[in-house]
Amino acid sequence: MFRFLIRRAIGALVILLIISAITFVLFYVAPRDPARVACGKVCTPETLALVKRNLGIADPLPVQYWHWLQAVFVGRDYSSFGNCPAPCLGYSFHNREPVLGTILDRFPTTLSLSLGSAVVFVIFGVGTGMLAAVKQGKMLDKVASSASLIGSSMQIYIVGVVAMYYLADQWHILSRPKEVPFTESPSGWFTGLLLPWLVLALIFTANYTRMARSQLVETLSEDYVRTARAKGLSRRTVFFRFAWRGAMGPIVTIFGLDLGVLFGGAIITEKTFGLHGIGALSVKAVGDNDLPLLLGVVLVAAGAIVVFNIIVDAVYALIDPRVRLA
Amino acid sequence: MSTPFLSVRDLRVHFSTEDGMVKAVDGLSFDIEKGKTLGIVGESGSGKSVTNLTILGLHHPDHTEIEGEILLDGQDLLAASERELERLRGNKMAMIFQDSLASLSPYHTIGRQIGETYRKHTGASKREARARAVEMLTKVGIPQPDLRVDDYPHQFSGGMRQRAMIAMALVCDPELLIADEPTTALDVTVQAQIMDLLKDLQQETGTSIIFITHDLGVIADIADDVLVMYGGRCVERGTKKEVLRAPQHPYTWGLLGSMPSLEGPVDVPLSPIPGSPPSLLNPPTGCRFHPRCTFTEQVGGKRCATDQPPLELTAGRGAACHLTAEQRAEFFTDFAGTRPN
Amino acid sequence: MSLSRRNFVIATSVAAGGSMVLSACSSGSSTGKKGGGAGHGGADKYTGSVVVGTKADSTGPAAEIPGAKKGGTIRGIAPDDFSHLDPQRIYFSWNSAIGDLFIRALTGYKIAADGSMKLVGDLATDAGTMSDGGKTWTFTLKDGLKWEDGKELTIDDVRHGIERGFASFTTEGAGYAQTALTGTADFRSKYKGPFGGKHLDSVVTDAKAKTITFKLAEARPDLNFTLAMTSYGAVPVKGDTKDKYDKDPVSCGPYRIKAHSIDKSMTLVRNPHWDPNTDSIRNAYPDSFVYEFGPEALQSADRLIADDGDDKYAVMAYSGVPAERIQKVLTDPELKKRTFNGLLTGIYYYAINTKRITDLKVRQAIIHAWPLEQIRKIYGGPSAGDYATSILSPDIVGYAKDDVYGKLKKPQGDPEAAKKLLKEAGKEGQKVVYAFPTSNTYNKTKVVIENALKAAGFTPVMKPLDSTSYYDQVQQIDNQFDVMWFGWSPDWPTGYTLMQPLFDGSTIANGANNISQLNVDWVNEAIKKNVVIADPNEAGKAWAALDKRIMTEEAPIIPETFQRRFYLYGEKVGGATFHPLWSSAVFYKLFVKA
Repeated sequence: MFRFLIRRAIGALVILLIISAITFVLFYVAPRDPARVACGKVCTPETLALVKRNLGIADPLPVQYWHWLQAVFVGRDYSSFGNCPAPCLGYSFHNREPVLGTILDRFPTTLSLSLGSAVVFVIFGVGTGMLAAVKQGKMLDKVASSASLIGSSMQIYIVGVVAMYYLADQWHILSRPKEVPFTESPSGWFTGLLLPWLVLALIFTANYTRMARSQLVETLSEDYVRTARAKGLSRRTVFFRFAWRGAMGPIVTIFGLDLGVLFGGAIITEKTFGLHGIGALSVKAVGDNDLPLLLGVVLVAAGAIVVFNIIVDAVYALIDPRVRLA
Repeated sequence: MSTPFLSVRDLRVHFSTEDGMVKAVDGLSFDIEKGKTLGIVGESGSGKSVTNLTILGLHHPDHTEIEGEILLDGQDLLAASERELERLRGNKMAMIFQDSLASLSPYHTIGRQIGETYRKHTGASKREARARAVEMLTKVGIPQPDLRVDDYPHQFSGGMRQRAMIAMALVCDPELLIADEPTTALDVTVQAQIMDLLKDLQQETGTSIIFITHDLGVIADIADDVLVMYGGRCVERGTKKEVLRAPQHPYTWGLLGSMPSLEGPVDVPLSPIPGSPPSLLNPPTGCRFHPRCTFTEQVGGKRCATDQPPLELTAGRGAACHLTAEQRAEFFTDFAGTRPN
Repeated sequence: MSLSRRNFVIATSVAAGGSMVLSACSSGSSTGKKGGGAGHGGADKYTGSVVVGTKADSTGPAAEIPGAKKGGTIRGIAPDDFSHLDPQRIYFSWNSAIGDLFIRALTGYKIAADGSMKLVGDLATDAGTMSDGGKTWTFTLKDGLKWEDGKELTIDDVRHGIERGFASFTTEGAGYAQTALTGTADFRSKYKGPFGGKHLDSVVTDAKAKTITFKLAEARPDLNFTLAMTSYGAVPVKGDTKDKYDKDPVSCGPYRIKAHSIDKSMTLVRNPHWDPNTDSIRNAYPDSFVYEFGPEALQSADRLIADDGDDKYAVMAYSGVPAERIQKVLTDPELKKRTFNGLLTGIYYYAINTKRITDLKVRQAIIHAWPLEQIRKIYGGPSAGDYATSILSPDIVGYAKDDVYGKLKKPQGDPEAAKKLLKEAGKEGQKVVYAFPTSNTYNKTKVVIENALKAAGFTPVMKPLDSTSYYDQVQQIDNQFDVMWFGWSPDWPTGYTLMQPLFDGSTIANGANNISQLNVDWVNEAIKKNVVIADPNEAGKAWAALDKRIMTEEAPIIPETFQRRFYLYGEKVGGATFHPLWSSAVFYKLFVKA
């Protein structure tokens, strides 16, 4: 396991390095100039050159990239703007602060949003799936299948707006999304995010119901489950210790992908609910032509997805000893 | 004959499916004495596995209708509650399955799977269970059992897995062991080892064994009594010697004919039974074997297609066929004559 | 840059037709003409004329608003944070709108209840004294001006604010005054800002008399309008943290910034050292303002429709009611009561590339063919705005409505007139390459434009461009587009602020805004002549005449619309009016109802 983690960590770093380079190049080749925005309405070539120096984009691309890379390890001093200690992911001239600080400020929101909704839809989805598998009900299976089809075709920006309109504005059942740090008020944090969680859960739950059911039905008919029963183990023990264990692998894999989707889809989710996570931050970074911030956000988001993948692989290996990690 | 340890009387197991009622077992009776081995022979779908799963109570209760009686050491298993059955399974009666790779959980170590049964029935601690698992692995001849006990099934070879499965089945010294084609998936040398192991263990513990197979060679090796099943019914019963030396039913003849002989020349062609096993959803009328039987005309009339021949037993010996005793003797002699046995 | 790229992206992502965001800094109003077709649901007249106020107009306090009382908190909801708080870095009207609460410049606009405006002295005692034909301007500072720390606001602080506009880190702000002072657009080559210890020779202060005098390199009869821009707000010499000032500016207005969490929220509370008697522009009723950033227009509209809890005290701060909700809001009298609206300061138009479409008749034919009505329908119909017929907007001093091409009579387009002109020019089937930024709205308007061009005998070629790089592409001199979607908002309400950047041939360059690439001698000369007309009314007439002549003889643009924006506010909010300059609420006039 240890060797696996080391190996994957190195792989992740390589991936992130490549992503950073690609983002750098893509941003650079895009037919727009971040300096123009900061150059005022009447922009003279002289002012433009000055802005470029201010933004640190006067150098050739490889030099810029090298400086950026260096800063990650040794930090960087942005003379008049301030110091950016290692690990320095860059300095946002737009926000007037180091990129990492901004991202760390926003990350908890995205994490709360994604993991919170994941908890809801995994518990609900897998729970009902288990029930359906035990009952072997064809009806519930059909309901879950169509519900998951409907769920996955629903768009968060429509469902979200409708949900806020009715649940919050009209019926006053839930409050509109609010960002309350968990450390400040756990209950405020919970009620503030409950609506987005439920909306996300609406979209994802049925898929887990369907998947958990079909996986469980499949594993329940496995020979080793029969063996376990033949050993005198109770249905309950067999269900959880054997059948569920076998069904978990594929669910964990899909869950890992969905977490990636949640992180990637955070842009729309956060915009819909007016939350300030890294998704909203990335939109802002693009809108502001804020390369350092965009790069930081892209890397952190990619990093999160890579880490989720490693965790999923590790968990899969823990579940299924036949999967070798080395 | 002493009191049978296990007694099955007129067992009928019917499954309801979307297409209709499947009569997997249709009026089966047999006994088995303590320390003896009953071999059940038949093609796939003959109902032999279903019978044994029913004995253990592993059928799906919602879709299955069971009639008849199963008495284990005097206890009516069909009337037993799930809890009572759980207490018996793995303890008083245990089962060994055919495909050891599929039948062992890939997610747990061998030691844990063996120990689990032991803990369940004896309330032993984890440590005791592990010690017992090592002991059982030693008994079934796994080298370095104290190391291998922590291995997962996929790390074992096929033969070793089957040994481990036997260890698992025997961990609580069951009085009845049901072995469902335990050697089918193994190559011949390993097969022989496993058979020897089972025989040794039976001698040691005095366990009764139901040995399910489609291989008469294996029966010859291990069984005391033989029961031949066809289409959910017993078509012939008797001691091993009686059934193998003087079979009374055309189906048994067919089984023998489709078996290669080690002693004869290798170029003698095997004569497999023509046709395929009957559908249990829509079993043939009359004798269930009659569509494949080459002797229906000798019976005369259409009796084979209309009347179901009864299994007439004399001292535990008999067959269910409309042929007369004379005809059987004649035809078997002819049949045996074509074989250099 | 006319439309902010930043806001552009936001506006398109909201996909609210007709609520594109302008980066306007200022504009005024012309004489109150009837404008806007019936049934748009907005105000039926343009705001009153902008005039230069007297000393009395410049003397505080501001007139009380009937029914208003002190206290409470007003909440602003906006999709985005203020991009800058340092006055010298502020150009976007959204930033200026909030800047009004803590930034003051020499002059400012006093807005009457009906929306009419007077240019008055804000820090200065009046709107300034011009001499030497517009080359010298003098202002006198009011007494009793203080910073939020209680220190006196001096004439040096005013000069400091002007001089900071030369610093290397204030590139985002306006450059008009700097150019006027140095005579060059490359003004940073002449002066590096006050941080080297040197002052501008052309700005003379007299601490005793509390006067500041600007000696301009070129005549600017409208410098007092220029200096009303937030970019020329005062900054304390002591307490200037240079580039970090943008995070925590020092207030001399009625409120000071108490807390600011970037992209999330900003809280302003009373500045106890602000004396209402020094301020004829601002009321200051609420004890605090809390701005919430993030909710898109649709969300904030829904919240204000619900009018629940704290939202009773809220006002849509910068993004207006989106197309999805505008009908609901305008047809429900209870909701409509809680709205205010106005025209955005800018004009939307389509620039015709005169370097590629060289034949005047063809350009005129395109104007005739253009389907204004169908386009506005996509924006949301009459409530989305009023048709434009020339480059000058109704808010410009001297504006005269001249419908040279009869677009108000036939807003749906006149294919017959277009065909006739094309035939005369011998250019039937002329290819027209139309460039536009991709967005939900413009992908739809593209279709009606394409159909109209076909109907008029053109061969249209549609060129959708990435919205984030749209300006960079159309502002290339050698671009391959014939007609380009564009927009412009004037920085103060005189014709100069439109004509010079958009039609002066000397400005043509990559990245410049004369994307029609109009370079005609008589136009260039007229612009030079009009700039120095000292009398504002005379100047206004001259600009209006030029406007009409350009449309008639050159036809370099297809004017489209002056867009209208509606805002909602909560039931407890009083004094909500449309700011004719910043296109937002007039924040300092808001109050909490009893």
